[in-house]
Amino acid sequence: MIKKRMLLNLDKLKIPKGKPIVFAERCKGCGLCIEYCPKQVLSFSDDYNEKGYHYPVIPPEKEGECIRCGFCRQVCPDFAIYVEDEN
Amino acid sequence: MRIGVFICHCGKNIAGVLDIKRLVEEAAKLKDVAYATDYVYLCSEPGQKEIQQKIKELELTHVVIAACSPKMHATTFARAVEEVGLNPYLLEIANIREQCSWVHHDAPEEATEKALEIIRAAVAKVSLAKPLAPITVPLTRKVLVIGGGIAGIQAALDIANGGFEVYLVERSPSLGGHMAQLSETFPTLDCSSCILTPRMVEVARHPNIHLFTYAEVKNVEGIVGQYKVTIEQKPRYVDPDKCTGCGDCAEACPVIVPNEFDQGLGARKAVYVPFPQAVPLVYTIDLEHCLNTKRLIVCEQCYHACGPKAINYLMEPKEIEIEVGAIVLATGYDLLPLEALKEYGGGIYPDVLSGLEFERLLSASGPTGGIVRRPSDGKIPKRVVFIQCAGSRDPEHGCPYCSKICCMYTAKHALLYKHAVPDGEAYVFYIDVRAAGKRYEEFVQRVMEEERIVYLRGKVSKVFQRKDKLVVWGVDTLSGMAVEIEADMVVLATAIVPSKNTADLAKLLKAPIDEFGFLNEVHPKLRPVESSAMGIYLAGAAQAPKDIPDTVSQASAAASKVLGLFSQEELSLEPIKAEVNLENCDGCAYCVDVCPFDAITLVVEEDGHKHVEVKKALCQGCGCCMATCPKEGINVAGFTLNQLKAQIHALLKEDEDD
Repeated sequence: MIKKRMLLNLDKLKIPKGKPIVFAERCKGCGLCIEYCPKQVLSFSDDYNEKGYHYPVIPPEKEGECIRCGFCRQVCPDFAIYVEDEN
Repeated sequence: MRIGVFICHCGKNIAGVLDIKRLVEEAAKLKDVAYATDYVYLCSEPGQKEIQQKIKELELTHVVIAACSPKMHATTFARAVEEVGLNPYLLEIANIREQCSWVHHDAPEEATEKALEIIRAAVAKVSLAKPLAPITVPLTRKVLVIGGGIAGIQAALDIANGGFEVYLVERSPSLGGHMAQLSETFPTLDCSSCILTPRMVEVARHPNIHLFTYAEVKNVEGIVGQYKVTIEQKPRYVDPDKCTGCGDCAEACPVIVPNEFDQGLGARKAVYVPFPQAVPLVYTIDLEHCLNTKRLIVCEQCYHACGPKAINYLMEPKEIEIEVGAIVLATGYDLLPLEALKEYGGGIYPDVLSGLEFERLLSASGPTGGIVRRPSDGKIPKRVVFIQCAGSRDPEHGCPYCSKICCMYTAKHALLYKHAVPDGEAYVFYIDVRAAGKRYEEFVQRVMEEERIVYLRGKVSKVFQRKDKLVVWGVDTLSGMAVEIEADMVVLATAIVPSKNTADLAKLLKAPIDEFGFLNEVHPKLRPVESSAMGIYLAGAAQAPKDIPDTVSQASAAASKVLGLFSQEELSLEPIKAEVNLENCDGCAYCVDVCPFDAITLVVEEDGHKHVEVKKALCQGCGCCMATCPKEGINVAGFTLNQLKAQIHALLKEDEDD
């Protein structure tokens, strides 16, 4: 199998990492955060919150891909999501 | 009218073929010819004296000199006749060498007849000639230099030091060009950055240089002496006056992009400087990769990280209009893409590199900090094969020319590799080693002998992968043996091609290019830094592949040409320009459409009368207008329709009375 080239100085570059924290009970399932996440980290949960909405979750394969831009927090109309600094 | 005809022997060049005696006799019989003579070398000092003396003595009003091409000595003879008070436009050169004796040396009799026709035509033309005076046009003594590599830097500095204003335009975010990417330079092994960056800083600080980086020349109008140039400043989204170059924005940026400056071998962020020594040291947001778009700002991490608040997502492109009198083209080169060399695994195997990529691996400021590593797995290669003439000297790849620098840089690569990996082996496949330059041959010999690099004379037929090795199949033509080498890395000395957009720029400036797209000089030996488009000068690899010393020499030469041009207050131009005959012109304006230089405009008088007008400064005397005009309403001075008609009639041996 032919290997691809790697970026040789990747270890020297610092990439901001974040972790979205969701207050599921506040979510009304509008999906703005999912729509606008530039890294497409978020998707709808399978289960419902107590109001009966699907809320945003991070699927296991997207774990660690959040770049802490914080746009989800900015667009959320219900203050139901924010990002913690992971660095 | 008293025409004098002077026929030159040019030693045996002309007299060895043509019957000069007969030419003189026949020429003397032509209408209005008062005198005809011959001389062994008319261009010599005594030859010119003879012409001058006869003009005075016999009161000649017009002169025909039958000799070599006017390209050779028209200026010499024009000066000679001018010295004795004859207007130089009353002189006509009949070319009986290049167009007669040289090409018909096997048929002297017919050639003599042809020479006679050429002389007769010249006499017919000159008899209708009118005295003309050169025209003067204003000269803006400022220069535009396009390209911020070493060629552009050198030309800009030389002109600026000469006391004139320079606008230097560079497409990428930093000055430096390809030279900034190099590790060490042959044959002295000077660190490239160490000798280049002080020059870059000098450009930025020079009071006479206006530096535009991340900018492109969008439009150029006008002619030598008065070009109007539009420069487009692309938005950096970082305010250059506020940015301190601290790099906090890049640290905060979450987006990883392959760095073009590292030939894609290393990474940068979406907000970046190409390399730490960049001039100007101003960060640029690469909107193509930034998470933000023109319509939506998603991520503001750089904005929040920036202390002086230099980030401005709302910046727009800006157009800057300038006026200059001359332009230096220093647009540099690109490499033939690796993908074009599939037989060597180019673009297929990750460890087949171009010379410039290997240069980044060797560079202390490169992605690996100067440690040679394979792009596939980051391992240090223990056996490297260098293949010279990869695409060059190869008509099948469209580059039959020699790229000139590869022999030297491959020797340098092999040496630097051996210094970096002392237990490594290096093999070089070559056709021949071309090391013409001061101390170049000595350098290659040192590499071969002291560094124990194996040079194999022959071409490589194929490179392919076997497990994690690259297998190189080639031939050693000195031993006549087929060679197979299992290598960890293959470096191709890919051919040099003109940088992209050179052709578009050349078209905009009406500067000719050659069949490979390199800019063409007027004369390969005697005028190597001038384009045939007046006021356009060439520097560096945009003209042909060349190394740093040649590039710097050529850039200084171009600068000296510009300084020569700027030594005058006004520009004197040849009077061979279109002239409107108002009696015949009815304002049909066909000529307006065909003029390639936009020199003709239509004028409508108050009484409704229409006619065209020529802007003499723009007119190049090409004659398209004259050929198009149905009314004989426009003529090129010195080449009027009547003159050309008379010339053709004389050639067709028609009787002038007909």
